[in-house]
Amino acid sequence: MISSLILSAMMAFIVLFFVVLMHNFAPAAILYALFLMFLFIRMTFAENKKMGSGVIYRRIFQTVFAVGFCIAFIADLIAERGSMSITSEAMSNSELPFCHIAIPQVLVPLLVTKNIIFPARISGHYASVASMILIWLVCTLTVGRGWCSWICFYGGWEEGFSHVAKKPRIKLLPKNKELREFHFGFMFFIILASLCELACIYCEWFCPFKLVTEFSPVNSIPSLIATIMFVGLFIGLVIVLPILTKKRTQCSSLCPFGAFASLTDRFSIFQMKIDSDKCSGCMKCASICPFSAIDIKTIQEKKGHPEITCAKCGECVSVCPNKAISYEFRFNMKKSSCSCGHHKNPPKTAAVRVFQQLLHPANLFRFAAFSFAVIMSSDFMIKSLNLIAGLFGGRK
Amino acid sequence: MILEAISLGLSTGTYCTMNCAPVLIPFLSGTDKVSYKRNSGLIGAFLGGRLVMYFILGAVFAAIGLLVNEFIDPVLTRRLSVYAYFFCGIALLINSLGLKFPWGCNKDCGCKVPKLRRLGNDWVTAILSGLAVGLHVCPPLWTAMLRSVFGGHGLVGFFYFIFFYIGTLPFFIPLFGIPFIAKRAGSIKRIARVTQFCVSIYFMIFLGLIPMIFE
Repeated sequence: MISSLILSAMMAFIVLFFVVLMHNFAPAAILYALFLMFLFIRMTFAENKKMGSGVIYRRIFQTVFAVGFCIAFIADLIAERGSMSITSEAMSNSELPFCHIAIPQVLVPLLVTKNIIFPARISGHYASVASMILIWLVCTLTVGRGWCSWICFYGGWEEGFSHVAKKPRIKLLPKNKELREFHFGFMFFIILASLCELACIYCEWFCPFKLVTEFSPVNSIPSLIATIMFVGLFIGLVIVLPILTKKRTQCSSLCPFGAFASLTDRFSIFQMKIDSDKCSGCMKCASICPFSAIDIKTIQEKKGHPEITCAKCGECVSVCPNKAISYEFRFNMKKSSCSCGHHKNPPKTAAVRVFQQLLHPANLFRFAAFSFAVIMSSDFMIKSLNLIAGLFGGRK
Repeated sequence: MILEAISLGLSTGTYCTMNCAPVLIPFLSGTDKVSYKRNSGLIGAFLGGRLVMYFILGAVFAAIGLLVNEFIDPVLTRRLSVYAYFFCGIALLINSLGLKFPWGCNKDCGCKVPKLRRLGNDWVTAILSGLAVGLHVCPPLWTAMLRSVFGGHGLVGFFYFIFFYIGTLPFFIPLFGIPFIAKRAGSIKRIARVTQFCVSIYFMIFLGLIPMIFE
């Protein structure tokens, strides 16, 4: 209880600084700050009561952020260019906003040619290359692939759609391994093809989120084919398949950043742990995992942790009947991954207990991920709230 | 002259590697039998195919009088590149299908399309894709061809080109280490096959057919 209060107070400070103060106490900022605080307080107290029960607040946040981001982003593009389509002027001036999904495509050509192949500014511009790479580096060291399940402003679309249906119509669990292999295979293809063409291939042909952000104008047959692909991939991988499978299919099969973040996740200090002593093998975690990161083999072979594509969303924690899955510091992970009769000594005083709870990996991870999300979302969300208020005749 | 040719190759070899990497890395990592000897042989077959195509191109360009121009024709090179991607895509696709599909797996499996197995053979693929990649004509290659043809003497020109080609080879040395990685995890082989399949489709359709028909 006290630890939850302390965490909420710390989050209030972050929200106050990054949302309210940075936006000069604007009504939209205050409204958004209240929404964030509501989510965090509810999540923290729910988790304190029952491990994993706060996961719904992450879902709400990510879905709202994805929609709000797109509203603000599209409004920005229309204000700047008059339409959502990429203009030749923006291309030639290297003024396209750089997106984190392009990072894996950019890094290898950068090493070989010393050039950024994406038409964006290195620094000093809205979503510049340097700022996005810096965000990615900080994220890699802290939450790792937790970016995808907590912060990614595209992932929220799938997060929302994957919770539309009550039950999955298509079960992907037996194909998890193949899906992961396809994901990595596709990422390597994107990297190699980008190196070959010195262009961001994923952005040119395969990005489903072109539909909700910016796209090339349709003025030739190749651009028409590209647009058909964007629309098809968005409908297929972001809407239909998440509804049918209850998985984040684009994130776990196509997104090159997702696969790349899975590879770099080993630098993150947090990891999910499966206690093989407590695990009864019910496979509820494997069924619910939206990133296809738990297989039947993961449990049978007592690996002690999910597969490499785990995005630390916490869905498995919430469904585990034996509380066998938890957040853990990577340096604390035991090879055998079981409790093996080892139990921590109970704290002697209340103060020590609170301190231990504050430093619990689950609390620290949620705090870090949510802080990141607050910082990333504030500008976009406040802008979109203002726009929505403007639409309904409110004050801008 | 030798030093000039090698320097030209060394200074521009990264671009050769950039064209060859998407073909060679997944192909070599995804082959059924992984060994250093076989891997080196396949790289040699690929590079041999590429060199043969350079000689063919050099001879054709010289015969039709294109090599009198000091500057490379961008339209011609673009067209050649489109064909390079298309043929390379076909070679890689047949190889990946030959490995993937049951009718290409062995002699006794009742293959309906046994020829596919032969077409998709690793050695054939290495040579065919080498020949196809050789169709990419870059400015340094054009320069080397010009210098070879106008070197004064046929044999001097021949050796100039050979040394230029040798200059580009050090960038391929890392590929000899692929078995070291591929042997460690079985999943690398499967991932490489997915990559090869995607690369082949991308080469054939997006870099081959679409520009061929609509540009």
